[in-house]
Amino acid sequence: MRATLIVYRKELREILRDRRTLIAIALAALATPVILFVVSQVSIKTAAQAYTIGYSGNIPAGLDVLFNATGLKLERVDDPAEAAKAQVDIGLAFNGSGVDEYYDPTRQSAQVADIRLQTILGRYDAAKIAATLQEKGVDPSILDPLPVRTHPLSSPTQAASNAFLSFFLPYILITMSLTGGLSAALDSSAGERERKTLESLLLTPAPRGRLLIGKILAVTTISLAAAVASITSMLIALSQISFGFGNGQDQHVILSPLAATVMLWLALLLAASFSSVTIALGTLARNFRQGQAYATPLYFITIFPASIVLFIPDFNPGSAYYLIPILNAVLVLRDAIVHNSIAWSSLAVTSLSLILTGALCFYAALRLFTREALLVRS
Amino acid sequence: MISAAVKVDRLEKTLGPNKVLRGISFEAHSGEIFGLLGPNGAGKTTTLRIICTLLAPDAGSVNVLGFDTRTAPQEVRRRVGVVTAEIGVYPRLTARENIAYFAELSGLLDGRLRQRVDAVIERLDMASFASQRAESLSSGQKQKVAIARAIVHDPPVLMFDEPTSNLDVLASREIREFMVESKGRGKCVIFSTHVLHDAERLCNRVTIIHQGRVIASGNTAEVRGSRQDLEDSFLSLVESAT
Repeated sequence: MRATLIVYRKELREILRDRRTLIAIALAALATPVILFVVSQVSIKTAAQAYTIGYSGNIPAGLDVLFNATGLKLERVDDPAEAAKAQVDIGLAFNGSGVDEYYDPTRQSAQVADIRLQTILGRYDAAKIAATLQEKGVDPSILDPLPVRTHPLSSPTQAASNAFLSFFLPYILITMSLTGGLSAALDSSAGERERKTLESLLLTPAPRGRLLIGKILAVTTISLAAAVASITSMLIALSQISFGFGNGQDQHVILSPLAATVMLWLALLLAASFSSVTIALGTLARNFRQGQAYATPLYFITIFPASIVLFIPDFNPGSAYYLIPILNAVLVLRDAIVHNSIAWSSLAVTSLSLILTGALCFYAALRLFTREALLVRS
Repeated sequence: MISAAVKVDRLEKTLGPNKVLRGISFEAHSGEIFGLLGPNGAGKTTTLRIICTLLAPDAGSVNVLGFDTRTAPQEVRRRVGVVTAEIGVYPRLTARENIAYFAELSGLLDGRLRQRVDAVIERLDMASFASQRAESLSSGQKQKVAIARAIVHDPPVLMFDEPTSNLDVLASREIREFMVESKGRGKCVIFSTHVLHDAERLCNRVTIIHQGRVIASGNTAEVRGSRQDLEDSFLSLVESAT
């Protein structure tokens, strides 16, 4: 394996002297905290956001106090229906028989204001009914024949943070495992042909398989480093940034050691597979630019399974789904983050599936790297 | 009788739809410069690629210093150094690192590795730019790096495939001098070119191939025959073979 080590060292040295790769990794590591900071500011702002209610008529006594306490600002308008189109978030017309509500569901601010309004009106109604019953000597608890006592098994704010992590981490893990080493992979395959160094390399007595393994290991190292750098910077940022996850509480997001360990293991398997695939694609290409064109669809193919999980929150797959590469990594990581537990059988199936995928990708790369067309095409 | 360092026997090769070689045979010996001549597309590069094991022949055989290219390709590669017109180098490595990389892959270890790298740097007069990154080198300097990496493992057989086609007059002369020097050191030098003036000056023996077939072979003087120079003879042979 001496030849593998020689190629590995040389490729790493070249990669570390390549500004393109280093800048891409640095940008990814720096961009994540910036994005998270923006997300946190938006979420805090959303939680503390005051919405405007334009009203006409007379507000029942006590209701205005409730509005002000929950961040609903009152503003008298002539025509609540017209004002609700743009001037205010919700229009209310109080009259003798009740209240007419006007709002535009296509406006997100109107939706949020409506939820708050319904909560307040519910409380107001309950309080008025309870007071009326008490005046008449009736116990108000008859309105609640089956009282419910909730016992959350985990902190609701922690659940919110887990949901946040389960959304972002798999996405970053897959994206960085693929793109972190992409430039290096294409440089060491298509670039070798473009620079006219391929023939000289293949003229050495070193077996081609070992040359290829050295290249794949170097690219895997960079991909893994990119994924770890990006996720580490994200976790550091998360530990410093507060999020307004509702209930009026700020919350720091923390990744459990179990989830972190699982994530590293999955990052390694994904990086190894992606490295083989991208080097195989680069071997097919005549130059770096063509290699990029070949690799672009790969991004969409790989990110698609993650999207299924990310955008279908209650996606509960059967065990067969853990055989599907990439999707299985997302599922295992999601379970580790959201439930803070691992189904070891799922992890084993996932690992086996990813190792098998990596082996197949390596075999494909080896076949491409050892065929005569590799030189004839150049 | 002197045994051949490189013996090519009835080589045939098809690449895609083209039958490139149609039974090429020749022998090249240690201590001589052997010219493999022919017009563009004659099959020279394919022949050299088969000799150095990059391609496998469809039929026929190649023997390099007793090793068959089919059965012992790694042994053949240890004994062959190839310089081509394509002077591709790793741009982010220094000239020295480029040479050392190929030396390591050729099996040279620590002390011997340094000794050989230093030796070729001195022999090719590269000391002034050995520590510079290859991306900053001139074409002539890059060609020296390409030669250095091909000879760093001290192979007994050297093959030059159109080595001067991208070089200026000075750099071309250095290449020619290097080939003569290598011959003097007892190496078997195979020189593939279509520049017949160079071939006539340098080669002890030549083989002319055209459309995948050998159309003339022998001492340079024999092949030139009664013609004024090798170029006249070459043109006459090619025309009569077409």
